[in-house]
Amino acid sequence: MILEPILPTVLAVRQIHAAAPAVLTSYGGDPGRHASLGLITCDQDDPTYVALDEATKHADVEVVYARSFYAGSSHASGPLSGEILGVLAGPNPTEVEEGLRAAVRCLEHDACFYGANDDGSIALFPHVVTSIGEYFAREGGLEMGDSMAYLVAPPMEATVGMDAALKAADVTAARIFGPPTETNFAAAWLTGTLSACEAAALAFAEGVVEVARQPREDR
Amino acid sequence: MSTTRELMTQLRARMGCADPLPPPPLATEITPPPARVFPTTIERNGYAEAASHHTTAMVGIGAVGTRYATDIVLQFQAEMAVAREAVATELPPDWAASHGLLPLQSRVHDHREFLLRPDLGRRLDDDSLARLRAQADKGVDVQPILADGLSGVACMETGLELLATFTRECETRGWRVGTPMCARFARVWLSDEVGQEVGARVAAILLGERPGLGTGDGLSAYLVYEPRIGKTDSERNMMSNIHARGTPPAQAARRLALLAGAMFDQRRSGVTLDLAPLAADLGEAAGQGYREPQRRERLVETSK
Repeated sequence: MILEPILPTVLAVRQIHAAAPAVLTSYGGDPGRHASLGLITCDQDDPTYVALDEATKHADVEVVYARSFYAGSSHASGPLSGEILGVLAGPNPTEVEEGLRAAVRCLEHDACFYGANDDGSIALFPHVVTSIGEYFAREGGLEMGDSMAYLVAPPMEATVGMDAALKAADVTAARIFGPPTETNFAAAWLTGTLSACEAAALAFAEGVVEVARQPREDR
Repeated sequence: MSTTRELMTQLRARMGCADPLPPPPLATEITPPPARVFPTTIERNGYAEAASHHTTAMVGIGAVGTRYATDIVLQFQAEMAVAREAVATELPPDWAASHGLLPLQSRVHDHREFLLRPDLGRRLDDDSLARLRAQADKGVDVQPILADGLSGVACMETGLELLATFTRECETRGWRVGTPMCARFARVWLSDEVGQEVGARVAAILLGERPGLGTGDGLSAYLVYEPRIGKTDSERNMMSNIHARGTPPAQAARRLALLAGAMFDQRRSGVTLDLAPLAADLGEAAGQGYREPQRRERLVETSK
């Protein structure tokens, strides 16, 4: 049994309707444009980045803060910490609420890790974003509406996988996050046409599964 | 289902993993809104329908469910078009002279400016002022001014008749009436400057009124006692809806003369003018008298 979805769990969703200016600014908000914050924690960081970007497509919100926690959700500071805190900021509570709703919907029905081996101990994230929102456009130096393959796996598997992906499809690397990331993974943001991104994600997943099946090529 | 999940399903099949994936989490079920029933018959209120025989206003038109009937919508649009056309109609520059009236013009240069700059429409331009000083009679009792206002159509259609009958009504009362004149691109307050220049005791401006539904040809008349620049609206008396389906010009002229008479008697105009002594003479304007049943003119014919 491989490539089975590992569904993320949304741990906490909270709104601060009128955030204190000091909190707003220290989390990257602009008191001139933002008044409300929406907070979300989840036990999977990369699906949450995707979900936060999804939120910017559904409401007038900006992703002002999104950081993974060190060593991932297995070493979380508490049961509600998970592996990431994402912060949406918007001009009013209604926009933020709509943004959070879109993010939760994305986490529950779309973005998730997959298991590369039978027991799912090797997790990979071969996600295709059909049309990116404001957050990924800003962070990846891309245009809103571009397609993107968001590829994550543990360091060894990811390196083999992203190499395979770049060779298999007509995609370019928008950003490569070499190991170790905060959660000790490695990641790549590849961009191209939608079909190229899909082909890249497939090649990546296949590469990761191959490494999982045969970790030691020398034997 | 997400794109990525489909891709992974494909890949599993290709890599020889045939057992099915667990089903995706169910999307929240969205309950459909209750089925709506749209009625197709017109419902009319009997009282409103009876009332509609006494006015050309759009009352008693009924409703189909929560909507207007198609026929009503079409009439509404047609009347709206009439109103817009009336606003867009310009009084030709030579119209006044060709009808034997002293031509005047406000400081407005074109029709667009007239609509956008009410302030310019309230003052005479230099040529007009010179012409007024040179040619108009001075020290008159009543100075009638015909003007285009917001409906050039009304001015050209019923304006002359109202001017003539009003002048006659004043003359039969023994008042001295000023030179007949016609102002182009004029707003109501233009009568203050004209009246001041000719030294009239009462200035009466008769001008096309802002068109409403079905009344692109209505005139209004504004009377002010001792016209001076700077008089406010509270110092004016006015009469609206002067057209064949509203108050006919002949009747309106009589009432305006009565108003002017009251101003001479009480030496004031506007909200402080006491209209009580005139109630009997003003007739139905004071809420008395019988009004003939009226029929709304249909501008568009529908088959049914």
